[in-house]
Amino acid sequence: MKKEKNLAVDDAVYSEEALKLAAYVFEGRFRVSLKRRGAKTEILFPGAVPEDAAGEFLNEALNQQCRLDLMKKNSKVANIIVTRMLLSASGGNKKGGVKK
Amino acid sequence: MAVKTAKRTEQVPQVYWRDLGGRILLTNDFGSHALMTEAEFRRYIKTGAAPSPALKEKLGPAGFLRERLDMEALVAGWRKRNAFLFAGPGLHILVMTLRCNQGCLYCQSGAVKSSGPGTDMSWETARRCVDFAFASPAPAITIEFQGGEPLLNWGVLKKTVDYARALEKKKGKPLNLALISNFTLMDDKKAEFLLSRECSICTSLDGPADLHDRNRPLTGASSHAAAVKWLKYFKRRSDNQGPGYRIFKPGALLTVSKGSLGRGREIVDEYVRLGLEDIFLRPLAPIGYAKRAWDKIGYSPEEFSRFYSGTLDYIISLNARGTRIKEKTASMFLEKILAGRDPGFMDARCPCGAAVGQVAYDPRGQVYTCDEGRMMGWEGDDMFRIGDVRGLDYGKLAAAPASRACCASSNLEQQPMCSRCAYRPWCGVCPVYNYEAQHSLWGHMPSNGRCAVFMGIFDAIFRALAAPKKAKILAGWTGK
Repeated sequence: MKKEKNLAVDDAVYSEEALKLAAYVFEGRFRVSLKRRGAKTEILFPGAVPEDAAGEFLNEALNQQCRLDLMKKNSKVANIIVTRMLLSASGGNKKGGVKK
Repeated sequence: MAVKTAKRTEQVPQVYWRDLGGRILLTNDFGSHALMTEAEFRRYIKTGAAPSPALKEKLGPAGFLRERLDMEALVAGWRKRNAFLFAGPGLHILVMTLRCNQGCLYCQSGAVKSSGPGTDMSWETARRCVDFAFASPAPAITIEFQGGEPLLNWGVLKKTVDYARALEKKKGKPLNLALISNFTLMDDKKAEFLLSRECSICTSLDGPADLHDRNRPLTGASSHAAAVKWLKYFKRRSDNQGPGYRIFKPGALLTVSKGSLGRGREIVDEYVRLGLEDIFLRPLAPIGYAKRAWDKIGYSPEEFSRFYSGTLDYIISLNARGTRIKEKTASMFLEKILAGRDPGFMDARCPCGAAVGQVAYDPRGQVYTCDEGRMMGWEGDDMFRIGDVRGLDYGKLAAAPASRACCASSNLEQQPMCSRCAYRPWCGVCPVYNYEAQHSLWGHMPSNGRCAVFMGIFDAIFRALAAPKKAKILAGWTGK
Protein backbone atom coordinates (compact mmCIF):
# COMPACT_ATOMS: atom_id res chain seq x y z
CA MET A 1 0.00 0.00 0.00
CA LYS A 2 1.21 3.49 -0.76
CA LYS A 3 -0.20 6.93 -1.09
CA GLU A 4 -1.37 7.64 -4.65
CA LYS A 5 -1.12 10.88 -6.56
CA ASN A 6 -4.41 12.66 -7.00
CA LEU A 7 -5.98 12.76 -10.46
CA ALA A 8 -7.92 15.33 -12.44
CA VAL A 9 -10.26 14.22 -15.23
CA ASP A 10 -12.14 16.19 -17.86
CA ASP A 11 -15.92 16.38 -17.38
CA ALA A 12 -16.33 16.07 -21.15
CA VAL A 13 -14.99 12.51 -20.87
CA TYR A 14 -16.21 11.32 -17.49
CA SER A 15 -19.62 12.40 -16.21
CA GLU A 16 -20.17 13.11 -12.55
CA GLU A 17 -22.48 10.08 -12.36
CA ALA A 18 -19.84 7.71 -13.78
CA LEU A 19 -17.24 8.94 -11.28
CA LYS A 20 -19.66 8.58 -8.38
CA LEU A 21 -20.64 5.05 -9.46
CA ALA A 22 -16.98 4.11 -9.77
CA ALA A 23 -16.24 5.51 -6.31
CA TYR A 24 -19.11 3.46 -4.92
CA VAL A 25 -17.62 0.24 -6.36
CA PHE A 26 -14.49 0.82 -4.24
CA GLU A 27 -16.44 1.45 -1.06
CA GLY A 28 -14.92 -0.50 1.82
CA ARG A 29 -11.56 -0.99 0.08
CA PHE A 30 -10.14 2.52 -0.01
CA ARG A 31 -11.36 6.07 0.27
CA VAL A 32 -12.14 8.16 -2.79
CA SER A 33 -13.06 11.80 -2.70
CA LEU A 34 -14.36 13.81 -5.69
CA LYS A 35 -14.04 17.59 -6.03
CA ARG A 36 -15.25 19.80 -8.87
CA ARG A 37 -12.68 22.31 -10.22
CA GLY A 38 -14.13 24.16 -13.21
CA ALA A 39 -14.51 21.76 -16.14
CA LYS A 40 -12.52 19.10 -14.36
CA THR A 41 -13.13 16.78 -11.44
CA GLU A 42 -10.33 16.14 -9.04
CA ILE A 43 -10.14 12.59 -7.67
CA LEU A 44 -8.46 12.34 -4.30
CA PHE A 45 -7.35 9.18 -2.55
CA PRO A 46 -7.03 10.15 1.11
CA GLY A 47 -5.38 7.55 3.28
CA ALA A 48 -3.60 4.35 2.33
CA VAL A 49 -4.51 2.91 -1.06
CA PRO A 50 -3.24 -0.04 -3.13
CA GLU A 51 -0.46 0.77 -5.57
CA ASP A 52 -2.73 0.44 -8.61
CA ALA A 53 -5.67 2.34 -7.10
CA ALA A 54 -5.67 5.21 -9.59
CA GLY A 55 -5.53 2.91 -12.62
CA GLU A 56 -8.21 0.64 -11.18
CA PHE A 57 -10.40 3.62 -10.46
CA LEU A 58 -10.06 5.04 -13.98
CA ASN A 59 -10.82 1.62 -15.50
CA GLU A 60 -13.98 1.39 -13.44
CA ALA A 61 -14.94 4.99 -14.24
CA LEU A 62 -14.55 4.21 -17.95
CA ASN A 63 -16.63 1.05 -17.52
CA GLN A 64 -19.39 3.04 -15.82
CA GLN A 65 -19.23 5.80 -18.44
CA CYS A 66 -19.52 3.27 -21.27
CA ARG A 67 -22.45 1.64 -19.48
CA LEU A 68 -24.23 4.98 -19.04
CA ASP A 69 -23.64 5.86 -22.72
CA LEU A 70 -24.94 2.43 -23.75
CA MET A 71 -28.01 2.87 -21.55
CA LYS A 72 -28.90 6.04 -23.45
CA LYS A 73 -28.73 4.11 -26.70
CA ASN A 74 -30.29 0.80 -25.69
CA SER A 75 -32.52 1.65 -22.75
CA LYS A 76 -35.76 1.14 -24.72
CA VAL A 77 -35.05 -2.43 -25.79
CA ALA A 78 -33.32 -3.23 -22.48
CA ASN A 79 -36.36 -2.07 -20.52
CA ILE A 80 -38.71 -4.13 -22.70
CA ILE A 81 -36.64 -7.28 -22.04
CA VAL A 82 -36.41 -6.71 -18.27
CA THR A 83 -40.09 -5.82 -17.98
CA ARG A 84 -41.10 -8.87 -20.03
CA MET A 85 -38.96 -11.12 -17.84
CA LEU A 86 -40.24 -9.73 -14.52
CA LEU A 87 -43.82 -9.79 -15.76
CA SER A 88 -43.45 -13.47 -16.68
CA ALA A 89 -41.96 -14.21 -13.26
CA SER A 90 -44.84 -12.45 -11.55
CA GLY A 91 -47.42 -14.45 -13.48
CA GLY A 92 -48.72 -11.18 -14.87
CA ASN A 93 -48.77 -12.41 -18.45
CA LYS A 94 -51.56 -14.82 -17.63
CA LYS A 95 -55.22 -14.02 -17.73
CA GLY A 96 -56.35 -12.67 -14.39
CA GLY A 97 -53.14 -10.74 -13.66
CA VAL A 98 -50.55 -11.43 -11.00
CA LYS A 99 -50.73 -14.91 -9.53
CA LYS A 100 -50.80 -15.11 -5.77
CA MET B 1 -16.75 -6.77 -32.15
CA ALA B 2 -19.55 -5.01 -33.93
CA VAL B 3 -19.50 -3.57 -37.43
CA LYS B 4 -21.83 -0.89 -38.72
CA THR B 5 -22.25 -0.11 -42.40
CA ALA B 6 -22.61 3.46 -43.57
CA LYS B 7 -24.50 2.81 -46.76
CA ARG B 8 -27.46 0.68 -47.68
CA THR B 9 -26.07 -2.50 -49.16
CA GLU B 10 -26.91 -6.20 -49.11
CA GLN B 11 -25.56 -6.34 -45.58
CA VAL B 12 -27.76 -5.84 -42.51
CA PRO B 13 -27.01 -2.77 -40.38
CA GLN B 14 -25.20 -4.54 -37.58
CA VAL B 15 -23.28 -7.77 -37.31
CA TYR B 16 -20.72 -8.99 -34.76
CA TRP B 17 -17.49 -10.75 -35.60
CA ARG B 18 -14.57 -12.51 -33.97
CA ASP B 19 -11.24 -13.63 -35.42
CA LEU B 20 -10.72 -17.29 -34.55
CA GLY B 21 -7.26 -17.39 -36.12
CA GLY B 22 -7.73 -18.17 -39.79
CA ARG B 23 -11.52 -18.17 -39.74
CA ILE B 24 -13.82 -15.27 -38.99
CA LEU B 25 -17.00 -15.87 -37.07
CA LEU B 26 -19.92 -13.64 -38.02
CA THR B 27 -23.00 -13.44 -35.78
CA ASN B 28 -26.11 -11.28 -35.47
CA ASP B 29 -28.94 -10.42 -33.10
CA PHE B 30 -31.08 -13.21 -34.56
CA GLY B 31 -28.66 -15.77 -33.11
CA SER B 32 -27.37 -16.81 -36.53
CA HIS B 33 -23.74 -17.42 -37.32
CA ALA B 34 -21.48 -17.95 -40.31
CA LEU B 35 -17.84 -18.88 -40.58
CA MET B 36 -15.75 -17.49 -43.42
CA THR B 37 -12.17 -16.92 -44.45
CA GLU B 38 -10.55 -13.57 -43.85
CA ALA B 39 -10.73 -12.71 -47.56
CA GLU B 40 -14.42 -13.56 -47.69
CA PHE B 41 -15.06 -11.53 -44.57
CA ARG B 42 -13.22 -8.49 -45.99
CA ARG B 43 -15.24 -8.68 -49.16
CA TYR B 44 -18.49 -9.01 -47.25
CA ILE B 45 -17.74 -6.01 -45.05
CA LYS B 46 -16.36 -3.76 -47.81
CA THR B 47 -18.79 -4.48 -50.63
CA GLY B 48 -21.80 -5.66 -48.71
CA ALA B 49 -22.08 -8.57 -51.12
CA ALA B 50 -22.09 -12.26 -50.30
CA PRO B 51 -18.56 -13.48 -51.08
CA SER B 52 -19.75 -16.52 -53.04
CA PRO B 53 -23.02 -18.10 -54.25
CA ALA B 54 -22.61 -20.84 -51.63
CA LEU B 55 -22.20 -18.29 -48.84
CA LYS B 56 -25.10 -16.27 -50.21
CA GLU B 57 -27.33 -19.27 -49.67
CA LYS B 58 -26.10 -19.52 -46.10
CA LEU B 59 -26.05 -15.79 -45.24
CA GLY B 60 -29.48 -15.05 -46.71
CA PRO B 61 -31.77 -17.13 -44.48
CA ALA B 62 -29.52 -16.39 -41.48
CA GLY B 63 -30.39 -12.70 -41.66
CA PHE B 64 -27.02 -11.37 -42.84
CA LEU B 65 -28.20 -9.97 -46.20
CA ARG B 66 -30.58 -7.07 -46.28
CA GLU B 67 -32.24 -8.10 -49.56
CA ARG B 68 -33.05 -11.56 -48.18
CA LEU B 69 -34.35 -10.65 -44.72
CA ASP B 70 -37.30 -12.82 -43.70
CA MET B 71 -38.26 -10.94 -40.56
CA GLU B 72 -41.16 -13.23 -39.68
CA ALA B 73 -38.96 -16.33 -39.62
CA LEU B 74 -36.08 -14.55 -37.90
CA VAL B 75 -38.29 -13.15 -35.14
CA ALA B 76 -39.90 -16.57 -34.63
CA GLY B 77 -36.40 -18.03 -34.25
CA TRP B 78 -35.42 -15.34 -31.73
CA ARG B 79 -38.57 -16.00 -29.72
CA LYS B 80 -37.94 -19.76 -29.69
CA ARG B 81 -34.37 -19.29 -28.50
CA ASN B 82 -35.56 -16.86 -25.82
CA ALA B 83 -38.70 -18.77 -24.81
CA PHE B 84 -37.67 -18.42 -21.14
CA LEU B 85 -38.62 -14.72 -21.30
CA PHE B 86 -42.24 -15.83 -21.31
CA ALA B 87 -42.12 -18.64 -18.75
CA GLY B 88 -41.30 -17.71 -15.13
CA PRO B 89 -39.22 -19.53 -12.51
CA GLY B 90 -39.08 -23.22 -13.44
CA LEU B 91 -36.15 -24.41 -11.33
CA HIS B 92 -36.66 -24.60 -7.56
CA ILE B 93 -33.60 -25.57 -5.51
CA LEU B 94 -34.36 -26.84 -2.01
CA VAL B 95 -31.34 -26.93 0.26
CA MET B 96 -32.48 -29.74 2.57
CA THR B 97 -29.59 -29.33 4.97
CA LEU B 98 -26.38 -27.39 5.31
CA ARG B 99 -24.74 -30.40 6.94
CA CYS B 100 -22.29 -32.47 4.96
CA ASN B 101 -20.15 -35.49 5.79
CA GLN B 102 -17.47 -34.47 3.28
CA GLY B 103 -14.96 -31.64 3.38
CA CYS B 104 -14.53 -30.73 -0.26
CA LEU B 105 -11.61 -28.42 -1.02
CA TYR B 106 -13.68 -26.13 -3.19
CA CYS B 107 -17.04 -26.35 -1.39
CA GLN B 108 -19.16 -23.36 -2.39
CA SER B 109 -22.32 -24.47 -0.66
CA GLY B 110 -21.56 -23.27 2.84
CA ALA B 111 -21.71 -26.78 4.29
CA VAL B 112 -21.36 -27.32 8.04
CA LYS B 113 -20.27 -30.38 9.97
CA SER B 114 -22.83 -30.55 12.73
CA SER B 115 -26.49 -29.74 13.15
CA GLY B 116 -27.56 -26.51 14.75
CA PRO B 117 -30.37 -23.97 14.46
CA GLY B 118 -31.34 -23.55 10.84
CA THR B 119 -29.08 -26.24 9.42
CA ASP B 120 -31.85 -28.71 8.46
CA MET B 121 -35.03 -27.86 6.56
CA SER B 122 -38.12 -28.76 8.56
CA TRP B 123 -41.07 -30.58 6.99
CA GLU B 124 -43.25 -27.52 7.49
CA THR B 125 -40.75 -25.33 5.59
CA ALA B 126 -40.25 -27.94 2.85
CA ARG B 127 -44.00 -28.18 2.32
CA ARG B 128 -44.27 -24.40 1.98
CA CYS B 129 -41.38 -24.38 -0.53
CA VAL B 130 -43.13 -27.03 -2.65
CA ASP B 131 -46.42 -25.09 -2.47
CA PHE B 132 -44.59 -21.97 -3.62
CA ALA B 133 -42.87 -23.87 -6.44
CA PHE B 134 -46.22 -25.16 -7.72
CA ALA B 135 -47.67 -21.64 -7.64
CA SER B 136 -45.02 -20.57 -10.18
CA PRO B 137 -46.32 -19.24 -13.49
CA ALA B 138 -43.88 -21.63 -15.25
CA PRO B 139 -45.79 -24.29 -17.22
CA ALA B 140 -43.55 -27.05 -15.81
CA ILE B 141 -41.25 -27.08 -12.80
CA THR B 142 -38.16 -28.89 -11.57
CA ILE B 143 -37.55 -29.34 -7.86
CA GLU B 144 -33.91 -30.03 -7.14
CA PHE B 145 -32.79 -31.33 -3.74
CA GLN B 146 -29.37 -30.11 -2.71
CA GLY B 147 -27.24 -29.60 0.36
CA GLY B 148 -24.89 -29.97 2.13
CA GLU B 149 -25.62 -33.62 1.69
CA PRO B 150 -29.43 -33.87 1.27
CA LEU B 151 -29.56 -37.53 2.37
CA LEU B 152 -28.62 -36.34 5.89
CA ASN B 153 -32.19 -35.01 6.10
CA TRP B 154 -33.74 -38.15 4.61
CA GLY B 155 -36.99 -38.16 6.60
CA VAL B 156 -38.01 -34.70 5.39
CA LEU B 157 -36.67 -35.33 1.87
CA LYS B 158 -38.78 -38.48 1.54
CA LYS B 159 -41.94 -36.73 2.70
CA THR B 160 -41.26 -33.81 0.38
CA VAL B 161 -40.83 -36.07 -2.65
CA ASP B 162 -44.19 -37.74 -2.00
CA TYR B 163 -45.90 -34.43 -1.30
CA ALA B 164 -44.55 -32.93 -4.56
CA ARG B 165 -45.71 -35.93 -6.61
CA ALA B 166 -49.16 -35.73 -4.99
CA LEU B 167 -49.36 -32.02 -5.78
CA GLU B 168 -48.33 -32.70 -9.38
CA LYS B 169 -51.38 -34.94 -9.79
CA LYS B 170 -53.69 -32.49 -8.07
CA LYS B 171 -52.50 -29.39 -9.95
CA GLY B 172 -51.76 -31.05 -13.29
CA LYS B 173 -48.46 -29.23 -13.57
CA PRO B 174 -45.60 -31.37 -14.94
CA LEU B 175 -42.89 -31.91 -12.34
CA ASN B 176 -39.29 -33.11 -12.59
CA LEU B 177 -37.56 -34.19 -9.41
CA ALA B 178 -33.78 -34.18 -9.14
CA LEU B 179 -31.40 -35.11 -6.34
CA ILE B 180 -27.76 -34.11 -6.05
CA SER B 181 -25.96 -36.35 -3.57
CA ASN B 182 -22.45 -37.56 -2.86
CA PHE B 183 -23.93 -41.10 -2.51
CA THR B 184 -21.98 -41.88 0.67
CA LEU B 185 -25.27 -42.37 2.57
CA MET B 186 -27.17 -44.08 -0.24
CA ASP B 187 -28.61 -47.54 0.41
CA ASP B 188 -30.94 -49.92 -1.44
CA LYS B 189 -34.09 -48.67 0.28
CA LYS B 190 -33.37 -45.01 -0.44
CA ALA B 191 -32.39 -45.82 -4.02
CA GLU B 192 -35.57 -47.80 -4.63
CA PHE B 193 -37.73 -45.07 -3.15
CA LEU B 194 -36.15 -42.37 -5.33
CA LEU B 195 -36.35 -44.44 -8.50
CA SER B 196 -39.98 -45.38 -7.89
CA ARG B 197 -40.81 -41.64 -7.63
CA GLU B 198 -39.03 -40.96 -10.92
CA CYS B 199 -36.41 -38.77 -9.30
CA SER B 200 -33.36 -38.15 -11.49
CA ILE B 201 -30.11 -38.63 -9.63
CA CYS B 202 -26.80 -36.88 -9.97
CA THR B 203 -23.53 -37.00 -8.07
CA SER B 204 -20.12 -35.37 -8.16
CA LEU B 205 -17.30 -37.13 -9.93
CA ASP B 206 -14.03 -35.29 -10.35
CA GLY B 207 -12.22 -38.07 -12.21
CA PRO B 208 -9.95 -40.95 -11.16
CA ALA B 209 -9.95 -42.02 -7.49
CA ASP B 210 -6.81 -40.13 -6.42
CA LEU B 211 -8.03 -36.82 -7.84
CA HIS B 212 -11.62 -37.25 -6.65
CA ASP B 213 -10.64 -38.31 -3.12
CA ARG B 214 -8.17 -35.46 -2.81
CA ASN B 215 -10.81 -32.92 -3.84
CA ARG B 216 -13.63 -34.56 -1.88
CA PRO B 217 -12.18 -36.21 1.25
CA LEU B 218 -14.35 -38.49 3.38
CA THR B 219 -13.12 -39.53 6.79
CA GLY B 220 -12.16 -43.20 6.88
CA ALA B 221 -13.37 -44.08 3.38
CA SER B 222 -13.12 -43.24 -0.30
CA SER B 223 -15.84 -40.92 -1.57
CA HIS B 224 -14.87 -42.01 -5.09
CA ALA B 225 -15.75 -45.63 -4.26
CA ALA B 226 -19.22 -44.59 -3.07
CA ALA B 227 -19.83 -42.43 -6.13
CA VAL B 228 -18.72 -45.21 -8.50
CA LYS B 229 -20.69 -47.94 -6.71
CA TRP B 230 -23.99 -46.07 -6.96
CA LEU B 231 -23.38 -44.64 -10.42
CA LYS B 232 -23.02 -48.24 -11.61
CA TYR B 233 -26.16 -49.24 -9.70
CA PHE B 234 -28.31 -46.46 -11.15
CA LYS B 235 -26.90 -47.02 -14.63
CA ARG B 236 -27.71 -50.75 -14.41
CA ARG B 237 -31.25 -49.95 -13.31
CA SER B 238 -31.65 -47.41 -16.11
CA ASP B 239 -30.33 -49.86 -18.72
CA ASN B 240 -32.85 -52.45 -17.52
CA GLN B 241 -36.07 -50.46 -17.34
CA GLY B 242 -38.94 -52.33 -15.72
CA PRO B 243 -42.67 -51.72 -15.81
CA GLY B 244 -44.30 -49.02 -13.70
CA TYR B 245 -41.92 -46.09 -13.80
CA ARG B 246 -39.18 -44.47 -15.87
CA ILE B 247 -35.63 -44.69 -14.60
CA PHE B 248 -33.36 -41.85 -15.70
CA LYS B 249 -29.71 -42.30 -16.52
CA PRO B 250 -27.60 -41.07 -13.58
CA GLY B 251 -25.61 -37.89 -14.07
CA ALA B 252 -22.28 -36.70 -12.71
CA LEU B 253 -20.88 -33.23 -12.15
CA LEU B 254 -17.21 -32.42 -12.44
CA THR B 255 -15.63 -29.42 -10.78
CA VAL B 256 -12.37 -28.50 -12.44
CA SER B 257 -9.78 -27.69 -9.78
CA LYS B 258 -6.07 -26.95 -10.08
CA GLY B 259 -5.44 -30.70 -9.74
CA SER B 260 -7.57 -31.42 -12.83
CA LEU B 261 -5.39 -29.34 -15.15
CA GLY B 262 -3.26 -31.58 -17.35
CA ARG B 263 -5.44 -34.61 -16.55
CA GLY B 264 -8.31 -34.05 -18.98
CA ARG B 265 -7.87 -37.35 -20.80
CA GLU B 266 -7.75 -39.41 -17.60
CA ILE B 267 -10.88 -37.69 -16.32
CA VAL B 268 -12.78 -38.33 -19.55
CA ASP B 269 -11.58 -41.95 -19.61
CA GLU B 270 -12.99 -42.42 -16.09
CA TYR B 271 -16.39 -41.17 -17.25
CA VAL B 272 -16.26 -43.46 -20.30
CA ARG B 273 -15.25 -46.42 -18.11
CA LEU B 274 -18.37 -45.87 -16.01
CA GLY B 275 -20.59 -45.69 -19.07
CA LEU B 276 -21.52 -42.04 -18.54
CA GLU B 277 -22.59 -40.24 -21.70
CA ASP B 278 -22.18 -36.68 -20.44
CA ILE B 279 -19.28 -34.92 -18.80
CA PHE B 280 -19.69 -31.37 -17.46
CA LEU B 281 -16.37 -29.50 -17.40
CA ARG B 282 -17.42 -26.87 -14.87
CA PRO B 283 -14.97 -24.16 -13.86
CA LEU B 284 -14.55 -23.19 -10.23
CA ALA B 285 -15.99 -19.84 -9.22
CA PRO B 286 -14.25 -17.72 -6.59
CA ILE B 287 -17.37 -17.66 -4.40
CA GLY B 288 -17.70 -18.61 -0.73
CA TYR B 289 -15.14 -21.07 0.57
CA ALA B 290 -13.52 -21.48 -2.86
CA LYS B 291 -12.61 -17.79 -2.83
CA ARG B 292 -10.64 -18.17 0.40
CA ALA B 293 -8.90 -21.33 -0.88
CA TRP B 294 -8.23 -19.91 -4.37
CA ASP B 295 -4.42 -20.02 -4.05
CA LYS B 296 -4.58 -23.78 -3.47
CA ILE B 297 -7.32 -24.82 -5.87
CA GLY B 298 -7.82 -21.99 -8.36
CA TYR B 299 -6.34 -21.20 -11.75
CA SER B 300 -6.37 -18.46 -14.35
CA PRO B 301 -9.06 -18.27 -17.07
CA GLU B 302 -6.32 -18.94 -19.63
CA GLU B 303 -5.34 -22.16 -17.83
CA PHE B 304 -8.99 -23.26 -17.79
CA SER B 305 -9.43 -22.41 -21.48
CA ARG B 306 -6.40 -24.52 -22.43
CA PHE B 307 -7.76 -27.39 -20.31
CA TYR B 308 -11.24 -27.05 -21.78
CA SER B 309 -10.09 -26.81 -25.39
CA GLY B 310 -7.75 -29.82 -25.10
CA THR B 311 -10.32 -31.94 -23.29
CA LEU B 312 -13.08 -31.04 -25.73
CA ASP B 313 -10.82 -32.06 -28.61
CA TYR B 314 -10.18 -35.39 -26.90
CA ILE B 315 -13.92 -35.96 -26.35
CA ILE B 316 -14.59 -35.20 -30.02
CA SER B 317 -11.83 -37.64 -31.04
CA LEU B 318 -13.44 -40.37 -28.89
CA ASN B 319 -16.76 -39.73 -30.61
CA ALA B 320 -15.03 -40.01 -33.99
CA ARG B 321 -13.90 -43.50 -32.94
CA GLY B 322 -17.42 -44.51 -31.91
CA THR B 323 -17.55 -43.70 -28.17
CA ARG B 324 -20.64 -41.70 -27.22
CA ILE B 325 -19.83 -38.98 -24.73
CA LYS B 326 -20.81 -35.30 -24.80
CA GLU B 327 -19.37 -32.30 -23.02
CA LYS B 328 -22.33 -30.71 -21.26
CA THR B 329 -21.42 -26.99 -21.53
CA ALA B 330 -20.74 -27.43 -25.24
CA SER B 331 -23.94 -29.39 -25.81
CA MET B 332 -26.00 -26.72 -24.02
CA PHE B 333 -24.42 -23.94 -26.09
CA LEU B 334 -24.81 -26.02 -29.27
CA GLU B 335 -28.50 -26.40 -28.49
CA LYS B 336 -28.73 -22.61 -28.69
CA ILE B 337 -26.30 -22.13 -31.58
CA LEU B 338 -27.36 -24.95 -33.90
CA ALA B 339 -30.90 -25.84 -32.82
CA GLY B 340 -32.00 -22.35 -31.73
CA ARG B 341 -33.54 -23.74 -28.55
CA ASP B 342 -33.17 -22.73 -24.91
CA PRO B 343 -31.59 -25.65 -23.05
CA GLY B 344 -32.49 -24.24 -19.62
CA PHE B 345 -28.90 -23.20 -18.87
CA MET B 346 -29.55 -20.54 -16.22
CA ASP B 347 -25.93 -19.33 -16.22
CA ALA B 348 -26.03 -18.27 -19.85
CA ARG B 349 -29.23 -16.37 -20.37
CA CYS B 350 -29.97 -12.73 -20.99
CA PRO B 351 -31.16 -11.74 -18.43
CA CYS B 352 -29.68 -14.47 -16.24
CA GLY B 353 -31.94 -17.02 -14.55
CA ALA B 354 -31.69 -15.40 -11.11
CA ALA B 355 -35.21 -15.14 -9.60
CA VAL B 356 -36.91 -15.09 -12.99
CA GLY B 357 -35.86 -18.60 -14.07
CA GLN B 358 -34.88 -20.20 -10.78
CA VAL B 359 -35.01 -19.67 -7.02
CA ALA B 360 -33.14 -21.30 -4.14
CA TYR B 361 -34.61 -21.96 -0.69
CA ASP B 362 -32.32 -22.24 2.32
CA PRO B 363 -33.24 -24.56 5.24
CA ARG B 364 -34.90 -21.68 7.11
CA GLY B 365 -37.22 -20.98 4.17
CA GLN B 366 -35.41 -17.87 2.99
CA VAL B 367 -35.75 -17.50 -0.76
CA TYR B 368 -32.76 -16.38 -2.86
CA THR B 369 -32.31 -15.49 -6.51
CA CYS B 370 -30.18 -18.61 -7.11
CA ASP B 371 -28.01 -21.06 -5.21
CA GLU B 372 -24.94 -18.82 -5.55
CA GLY B 373 -26.95 -15.97 -4.03
CA ARG B 374 -28.03 -18.32 -1.25
CA MET B 375 -24.38 -19.12 -0.53
CA MET B 376 -23.68 -15.40 -0.23
CA GLY B 377 -26.54 -15.23 2.28
CA TRP B 378 -24.99 -18.02 4.31
CA GLU B 379 -21.71 -16.06 4.29
CA GLY B 380 -23.61 -13.17 5.89
CA ASP B 381 -24.49 -11.01 2.88
CA ASP B 382 -28.21 -11.03 2.04
CA MET B 383 -27.82 -8.99 -1.13
CA PHE B 384 -29.57 -11.72 -3.16
CA ARG B 385 -32.35 -12.57 -0.71
CA ILE B 386 -35.85 -12.21 -2.16
CA GLY B 387 -37.88 -12.89 0.99
CA ASP B 388 -39.32 -15.54 3.30
CA VAL B 389 -41.31 -18.34 1.69
CA ARG B 390 -43.96 -17.73 4.34
CA GLY B 391 -45.83 -14.77 2.92
CA LEU B 392 -44.10 -14.54 -0.47
CA ASP B 393 -45.99 -14.56 -3.77
CA TYR B 394 -44.77 -14.19 -7.34
CA GLY B 395 -45.80 -10.56 -7.54
CA LYS B 396 -43.58 -9.81 -4.55
CA LEU B 397 -40.82 -12.00 -5.99
CA ALA B 398 -40.74 -10.01 -9.22
CA ALA B 399 -40.86 -6.71 -7.35
CA ALA B 400 -38.09 -7.62 -4.89
CA PRO B 401 -34.97 -5.41 -5.21
CA ALA B 402 -32.74 -8.49 -5.57
CA SER B 403 -34.80 -9.81 -8.50
CA ARG B 404 -34.93 -6.48 -10.30
CA ALA B 405 -31.26 -5.73 -9.71
CA CYS B 406 -30.16 -9.14 -11.06
CA CYS B 407 -32.45 -8.84 -14.06
CA ALA B 408 -31.27 -5.35 -14.98
CA SER B 409 -27.56 -5.94 -14.38
CA SER B 410 -27.45 -9.19 -16.38
CA ASN B 411 -29.12 -7.67 -19.41
CA LEU B 412 -26.42 -7.75 -22.08
CA GLU B 413 -28.06 -4.86 -23.93
CA GLN B 414 -26.62 -2.63 -21.23
CA GLN B 415 -23.28 -4.34 -20.67
CA PRO B 416 -20.36 -2.55 -22.37
CA MET B 417 -18.32 -5.12 -24.30
CA CYS B 418 -21.05 -7.81 -24.07
CA SER B 419 -23.41 -5.70 -26.18
CA ARG B 420 -20.88 -5.83 -29.04
CA CYS B 421 -19.56 -9.34 -28.48
CA ALA B 422 -19.90 -11.99 -31.20
CA TYR B 423 -21.00 -14.51 -28.54
CA ARG B 424 -23.75 -12.30 -27.15
CA PRO B 425 -26.68 -14.23 -28.72
CA TRP B 426 -25.87 -17.28 -26.59
CA CYS B 427 -24.04 -15.94 -23.54
CA GLY B 428 -24.94 -14.52 -20.14
CA VAL B 429 -23.34 -12.80 -17.17
CA CYS B 430 -23.69 -13.65 -13.47
CA PRO B 431 -24.41 -10.77 -11.06
CA VAL B 432 -23.38 -12.91 -8.06
CA TYR B 433 -19.99 -13.65 -9.63
CA ASN B 434 -19.56 -9.97 -10.52
CA TYR B 435 -20.50 -8.87 -7.02
CA GLU B 436 -18.21 -11.37 -5.33
CA ALA B 437 -15.24 -11.06 -7.68
CA GLN B 438 -15.50 -7.43 -8.82
CA HIS B 439 -17.57 -5.70 -6.13
CA SER B 440 -20.45 -4.63 -8.37
CA LEU B 441 -23.45 -6.41 -9.89
CA TRP B 442 -22.44 -5.14 -13.32
CA GLY B 443 -18.84 -6.25 -13.10
CA HIS B 444 -16.09 -5.10 -15.43
CA MET B 445 -15.98 -7.44 -18.40
CA PRO B 446 -12.49 -6.65 -19.76
CA SER B 447 -11.02 -8.03 -16.51
CA ASN B 448 -13.82 -10.48 -15.62
CA GLY B 449 -12.58 -14.06 -15.12
CA ARG B 450 -15.95 -15.64 -15.91
CA CYS B 451 -16.17 -13.69 -19.17
CA ALA B 452 -12.67 -14.90 -20.12
CA VAL B 453 -13.67 -18.50 -19.31
CA PHE B 454 -16.84 -18.28 -21.41
CA MET B 455 -14.90 -16.67 -24.28
CA GLY B 456 -12.47 -19.60 -24.15
CA ILE B 457 -15.33 -22.11 -24.24
CA PHE B 458 -17.02 -20.39 -27.18
CA ASP B 459 -13.69 -20.12 -29.04
CA ALA B 460 -13.12 -23.87 -28.59
CA ILE B 461 -16.66 -24.70 -29.79
CA PHE B 462 -16.50 -22.47 -32.86
CA ARG B 463 -13.01 -23.65 -33.81
CA ALA B 464 -14.42 -27.18 -33.74
CA LEU B 465 -17.45 -26.07 -35.77
CA ALA B 466 -15.08 -24.65 -38.39
CA ALA B 467 -13.75 -28.18 -39.05
CA PRO B 468 -16.40 -30.16 -41.02
CA LYS B 469 -15.72 -33.56 -39.40
CA LYS B 470 -15.81 -32.13 -35.89
CA ALA B 471 -18.85 -30.01 -36.76
CA LYS B 472 -20.75 -33.14 -37.78
CA ILE B 473 -20.03 -34.74 -34.39
CA LEU B 474 -21.03 -31.59 -32.51
CA ALA B 475 -24.29 -31.37 -34.47
CA GLY B 476 -25.13 -34.81 -33.08
CA TRP B 477 -24.90 -33.42 -29.54
CA THR B 478 -28.05 -31.35 -29.87
CA GLY B 479 -31.50 -32.71 -29.04
CA LYS B 480 -33.73 -33.86 -31.85
